[in-house]
Amino acid sequence: MSEHLLDQIRAAKPVAPDTLRERVRTQAAALPARRPLLSRLTQRRFLVALPMTLVVGLLAAGVIAKLPQESSSDTAVAVGAATTATAEASRGRESLPAQSAPFQNSDSVAIAPTPGRLQRVDAELRLRVEGLDELSNATKRAMRVAQSLGGYVASVQYDAPARGVGGANLVLRVPSARFQTAIAQLSALGTILGQRIGIEDLQTSANDLTDQIVDTQRLIAQLRRQLASTSLVDEERAVLQARLAEARRRLADLQTALRGTRAEGALATVQVSLTTEAITPAAEKEGRLDRLGEILAWEGTALLYALVLVGPFVLLGILVWLALRLRRRSEETRLLERA
Amino acid sequence: MTLPARRQPASAVSFAVTAEAHLDDVYGYLVYLTRDRTLAEDLAAETFEKALKLWRRFDPRRASARTWLCQIARTTALDWFRAEERRRRREQAVARSDVAAGDMPEGLSPELEAALAALSAGEREVIALRILLELDGDEAARVLGISPTAVSTRLSRALKKLEERMTVHV
Repeated sequence: MSEHLLDQIRAAKPVAPDTLRERVRTQAAALPARRPLLSRLTQRRFLVALPMTLVVGLLAAGVIAKLPQESSSDTAVAVGAATTATAEASRGRESLPAQSAPFQNSDSVAIAPTPGRLQRVDAELRLRVEGLDELSNATKRAMRVAQSLGGYVASVQYDAPARGVGGANLVLRVPSARFQTAIAQLSALGTILGQRIGIEDLQTSANDLTDQIVDTQRLIAQLRRQLASTSLVDEERAVLQARLAEARRRLADLQTALRGTRAEGALATVQVSLTTEAITPAAEKEGRLDRLGEILAWEGTALLYALVLVGPFVLLGILVWLALRLRRRSEETRLLERA
Repeated sequence: MTLPARRQPASAVSFAVTAEAHLDDVYGYLVYLTRDRTLAEDLAAETFEKALKLWRRFDPRRASARTWLCQIARTTALDWFRAEERRRRREQAVARSDVAAGDMPEGLSPELEAALAALSAGEREVIALRILLELDGDEAARVLGISPTAVSTRLSRALKKLEERMTVHV
């Protein structure tokens, strides 16, 4: 291509007519709208915002990790007539000496049977004792606690090997009215590793049974009066006698059930687990760091899940976008060929 | 020690100044693309109207104002071509263009004008961008949405075709 022709093209550069110039000047006098928020997020701002977001995320994880771990001992869940309270000692409590962590001073001191109501009460205590001698003493003292409070030892398993970890498991039955005293005395036998208390209200079912017994007794009295009548024919008498026998059986069953319910409420069950297993001191120190790591791991997992879920859609979106772009380009080329 | 001068953000530069500076470029590009000075005038006005709306989004670090305006002009022209094609299809006037042939810039020799008119719009636009507006390969590639290599190839073919047409006319 000769340079002469190119110069000719350059020299004949079209100049915008005055009418167009005036139109554009008029347009330019108008004020443009405010820039949208997203378009203001420039690359430089993004480079600042990204590390800040990461730092905020890390700080949030740290703050969550530092928050006092909500012990389940603080939680008492009441569902209908049943109340269950679980008190799992945190690792921090493991270091407390046995004497300083009696049950009265623990968080779950408020969890106790309601006086005057029939309730099924059960508890589990996990305690650590120093050495096999202490294990033997604690086991004996636990048995004495049950007996001194008017209860008994339902079962006991004692394991004291020459080497390794020794342990004892006791199931004690103590009067429900003295449940708190029992727990307080048993908690003092060693360092609390964990505790669980469960309370289930039986008063409603006992009341129901009592009402049914009264109704059945009235029915029996009524049937007796009817049978005392002389005007009954043999067939009627036979029917009434059968109903009376049925009512008596039912009354006996109801009375048995009521006795059983009362017996359940009368005695609380306390399972005591004693162990000589040593507590690793590192566990407490590592606690918070572990938690921080755990939270970060959860954040990472959540992010990964989000990527796995969103990834295919993003990929599909990119493919669709590329296809549309390709189609648009080919359409543009065709248009320009024809124009 | 002096700091290197920073490029001013779009908001700091008046749109009116930018429009005034590049009005001829946009208009010239559209004349080459459409071969119709009246149409090019309308499309240029539409281009600047769009540009004003988008002015706050304009980032001078990504492209020069001229390149950005040419991109908008091209999109505006393509929209017009599409609408025209749909209209022609509706009227079933296949292969008939309402654009007056030879309505090219004034000052060209009749042979060159005819040769340019014989080129496709795609060929004319690459000549307009690279020769008339003297955009470099990267800027032209940005306007056309293709690679700089593809721009070179397209320009080379267009110029060769133009030369052939000129030879025929001569």
